[in-house]
Amino acid sequence: MAEVTVRKVEKRYGNVPVIHGVDVDIADGEFVVLVGPSGCGKSTLLRMIAGLEAISGGTVSIGGRVVNEIPPKDRDIAMVFQSYALYPHKTVAENMGFSLKIKGRPKAEIEAKVKRAADILDLGKLLGRYPRQLSGGQRQRVAMGRAIVRDPQVFLFDEPLSNLDAKLRVAMRVEIKELHQRLGTTIVYVTHDQIEAMTMADKIVVMKDGRVEQVGKPLDLYDNPGNVFVAGFIGSPAMNFIKGKIDTRDGQQIFVSNSGSVLPLAGARAQPGQPVIYGIRPEHIDIGPGGLPARVSVLEPTGSETQVFAKLGEDSIDAIVKDRLTVRPGEDLMLRIDPRHAHIFDAKTSARV
Amino acid sequence: MPNERPWLTVLLWVVLSIATLFPIYWLFVISVKPAVELFSTPSLFLDTIYWKNYVKVIGDDTLRRYMMNSIIISSGNAVLVTVLAFMACYALSRYDLAGKENIFFWTITNRMAPAAVFLLPFFLLFTQVFAIGDWKLYDTRIGMILLYCTFNLPFAIWTLRPTIDGIPKELDEAATVDGATTWQVITEVIFPLARPGLAVTLILTWVFAWNEFLLAATLTSFNARTITTGLSEYVTTTGTEWGTMASISIITLIPALIIFSVVQRHIVAGLTFGAVKE
Repeated sequence: MAEVTVRKVEKRYGNVPVIHGVDVDIADGEFVVLVGPSGCGKSTLLRMIAGLEAISGGTVSIGGRVVNEIPPKDRDIAMVFQSYALYPHKTVAENMGFSLKIKGRPKAEIEAKVKRAADILDLGKLLGRYPRQLSGGQRQRVAMGRAIVRDPQVFLFDEPLSNLDAKLRVAMRVEIKELHQRLGTTIVYVTHDQIEAMTMADKIVVMKDGRVEQVGKPLDLYDNPGNVFVAGFIGSPAMNFIKGKIDTRDGQQIFVSNSGSVLPLAGARAQPGQPVIYGIRPEHIDIGPGGLPARVSVLEPTGSETQVFAKLGEDSIDAIVKDRLTVRPGEDLMLRIDPRHAHIFDAKTSARV
Repeated sequence: MPNERPWLTVLLWVVLSIATLFPIYWLFVISVKPAVELFSTPSLFLDTIYWKNYVKVIGDDTLRRYMMNSIIISSGNAVLVTVLAFMACYALSRYDLAGKENIFFWTITNRMAPAAVFLLPFFLLFTQVFAIGDWKLYDTRIGMILLYCTFNLPFAIWTLRPTIDGIPKELDEAATVDGATTWQVITEVIFPLARPGLAVTLILTWVFAWNEFLLAATLTSFNARTITTGLSEYVTTTGTEWGTMASISIITLIPALIIFSVVQRHIVAGLTFGAVKE
């Protein structure tokens, strides 16, 4: 096991910079998720940690050793690829034991380590099969098994669940988390799926356009997003954003949207008249008397809850409620916003106020 | 969908097979008849078998030498070309070489002109330039192997490139992270998966060298003379020894059939299936 330190790391393709001096600290045994939309540089950063991409600037250290010029095979890492990247001409056992075979380890040792990894991942009955004879989930487990057999200092996962169906993805999420709890090895995990990030990570690194937007524990990011991007990216369904400004009424600060809707506030640090963005998560809105009148556009019942898409004056807003609603699209209902959960962001900088 | 008229399929294959194999049958018939019978009572059917043509050919030291030359030159060339093309295609496929697409395109240009165009330059090279003392590249097996590389290598690179490009780069990366050196990536991952392409390349380049006549006739005289050029020695001013030529041709087919049957087993589709999720 080892810590991973990324210091002012840059990546340029020719004159085009894609990673702009990123800093990330990953503690020994920590499960860190790099998350962000497509093209944010998260996979590139992971590949630089793996040694599959050259580093244009800054340093990457694994276990206190700068590895910029060290080839992947000497970094003591193991990587699970999005596409699995299994050797199609080798059996499951041969795939898993490949790294030990080329190291020249004794056959008995290879067999023992492959068996141990196969037991962990319940692959014992599949050891003689070829990748083409496996389902997507089984192939993904073999790819993880190949990483486990190496017993590396750091596991690197590059969107390992993206190609699986929704049900299998949930199951594999649990498996990977259990694996981490069992092995305690440092994991750097890349995903564009914020649910994966929230459910698996000890620490999340949110990236956008080659920069780190915010680093923190999953619930810290959820409760205190540092800017509009993080607020919108973390949490599902996404946070509602309404543009407007701060005003004062009866000595109390309120938010007035550009379309004139008045929303409650609880102690924002903004100046009266300051243009801001009001953020409220759908799950922090409920329906009941004393709320703000809103016109229902669409209802999406899922059984356990109902998502309501509505118009608050000119502003779109959606809410998640536990109740089963009888209201129809086009009718009005009253939305109650919990002001303690309202987030205020500066309209110019997008930063939290 | 089940085949509703299987007899039609069978009939089609029978007709095609007869059309393909008939010239070989005819060749065999000629090879086992005495010259007199060939011209007095031409027939496609065999009453008796006359083996003396074969006895004559097999007992001829010169012809045995020609046959051995052909086998060594064709096999040496095919192996050398396939190995070099494999390395070249790996480099073209995996590395960011400056102007690599131009390099790739220009390799094929020497196949754009007839081989005869290159005869004189090659003759001068083989007799005047590549000469150390009395030793010349002219009329040597190594000379012919290198000569055929000139024509076969570009062709092999073009044939093999799609195979190497088709092997997912993630496999190289996975092997690299697993601790493999570039050489181990090539031998442990790329080579086994490129087998079908390599087999096709090997067969096609082998056949080119095996059948080539013009260059061999010009750049060899005795020591490195191949069986195709040897055949032409039976067309003389006093007549053509059809029976002998036919028996040589039939014998010439045997190494080709052996090579095909050995190499053909590697031509299988879908080797990379299951490697990566597309």
